[in-house]
Amino acid sequence: MKAGFRILEHPADVGIEATGATLKEAFENAALGLLSMITDVDSVDAREERFIQLKGTDIQNLLVKWLSEILFLYDGENFLVGEVEIESISPTRLEAIVRGESVDEARHSMKTDIKAVTYHQLKVQEKKDGCLVRVFFDI
Amino acid sequence: MLKKIDEHRYIIPKSFREGMTVEGLIYANEELIRQIEKDQTMMQVANVATLPGLVGRSLAMPDAHQGYGFAIGGVAAADLETGVVSAGGVGFDINCGVRLLASDMSLDELKPRLDALLNQMFRDIPCGTGKKGVIGALSFDELDRVLKNGAHWAVEKGYGTPADLEHLEETGRLPNADPSAVSDRAKQRGKDQLGTLGSGNHFAEVQYVAEVFDEEAAKAFGLWPQQVVVMIHSGSRGLGHQVCTDYLEIMQSAMKKYNIRIVDRQLACVPIKSPEGQNYLKAMAAAANFAFANRQMMTHWTREAFQRVLGRGDLKVVYDVCHNIAKEEVHMVDGKPRKVLVHRKGATRAFPKHRPELPKDYYEVGQPVLIPGSMGTCSYVLVGTERAMEETFGSSCHGAGRAMSRHAAKKNITAEQLIKELREKGIHVRGASKSGLTEEKPDAYKDVSQVVEVVHNAGIAKKVAKMIPVGVIKG
Repeated sequence: MKAGFRILEHPADVGIEATGATLKEAFENAALGLLSMITDVDSVDAREERFIQLKGTDIQNLLVKWLSEILFLYDGENFLVGEVEIESISPTRLEAIVRGESVDEARHSMKTDIKAVTYHQLKVQEKKDGCLVRVFFDI
Repeated sequence: MLKKIDEHRYIIPKSFREGMTVEGLIYANEELIRQIEKDQTMMQVANVATLPGLVGRSLAMPDAHQGYGFAIGGVAAADLETGVVSAGGVGFDINCGVRLLASDMSLDELKPRLDALLNQMFRDIPCGTGKKGVIGALSFDELDRVLKNGAHWAVEKGYGTPADLEHLEETGRLPNADPSAVSDRAKQRGKDQLGTLGSGNHFAEVQYVAEVFDEEAAKAFGLWPQQVVVMIHSGSRGLGHQVCTDYLEIMQSAMKKYNIRIVDRQLACVPIKSPEGQNYLKAMAAAANFAFANRQMMTHWTREAFQRVLGRGDLKVVYDVCHNIAKEEVHMVDGKPRKVLVHRKGATRAFPKHRPELPKDYYEVGQPVLIPGSMGTCSYVLVGTERAMEETFGSSCHGAGRAMSRHAAKKNITAEQLIKELREKGIHVRGASKSGLTEEKPDAYKDVSQVVEVVHNAGIAKKVAKMIPVGVIKG
């Protein structure tokens, strides 16, 4: 399975399908997919670090919480993430370090306001050859 | 499966899917039903019909399209004692809504200064992705006052006048709002976004009244042919989105306790009378009040722009309606009055004359129902009807409804082409984002006139006036 992400179609909104060799990699790519809709990820410098620790009721819930956290850092704290590194992940727990910087309108072009992460057609699929996650956002 | 009962009504029988406790009913003509059948709207209307304590039918308006859990354009009423409230049944953009302002000038008077006016509005109304408000970040204490008092807070701060409040749904303040039910995260997201338009399908549009269908109602609403009006479409910004995110989580966790099983996780719900249900309704009301205050502030800046450019800033508020909301109302069900919670997810309240909720100016004609079209097409003012009370819990459509994905919309046209095409039609555009602009191109939506015809002919709202845009401010 090729690691990365692609944008999905939805009549009203937009989603991503992210893949990776492991669950960790697929979750990291899902976060990068979300970030690529917010801004040009390459323009974000890794100046500051934030530690994220989450508990979920199951793997789907954990995915929604993980992406909601990245979204909150941007929309609530004005902090753009450029790099993500999941340190440990289980179906109900996640620990990660994310790196980025405060939004600088001169350097960061903002693409889309994402309202929220949804459970619509949410999928986390672990297979022998890798992991695939699918998630839609309300924009 | 779908049972056509007349030219504008299609029933989804209970046999459509397991667990439906009520029927589904879609308002559409043949062309719109074909579009509705293309995505998951029907299944979503049927899924909603499985929720506990629903009364009447699970409804979809002619502008309905696939959403998350609920279809956008959906209406569902739950018994206040035995029913449930669903955060997804209101949606992420709580009290996304529309406000209409009426000027005292005709299109001919505006035309020479149109570009200057649009430039001024574009400067004064913060819009676009990630845009912060010009008033700076509010303290949480001040924000709590906004959440409690909505548009009343804005008027007290000098944004508009007390007369404005009389022409807003709920006077621009839902009374049961409780800021303590709103998380710090939601407040964090909202504290510097008050007084911003946002992006996506939100806009401020300068339009003129192109056609009047109902002279009596138009007169009561203060509308006349060739008159310049302004329509503002915006919501509760990050604050409302976070309230919905938070309560989806709370409701999912609490459902087990109440033995509720759902067919789609996005439909998470709890009993209305449960602590979680009551807290959600208090937080939802607070977010709705944020949106009312937001539109009130943009009204003020629109007036200032008119005053500065044209020397005439006396714009009257025609009305302000919620598109995404849950309201406790009394409706006749099986011949008896019943207290219900009406979820309107992309739908507009459409109350007829003589309802106590109406402003006194509209008591003899009915509630204005504001229907924005897609960018560059047309918009409508309708009026609520008795038939809506009988069939749709006093509800009607809310707009054109998307027909094409944002991605597909961007493929066929560049922003420059679109701006040129609209200009040739006499519509001047100011947009914060080029890609945002093409995502909202007119043919990405259903034909709003068809949607309105269905609603009018089905009798769940009546046409009053049609407006055509001459200037658009997009986020």
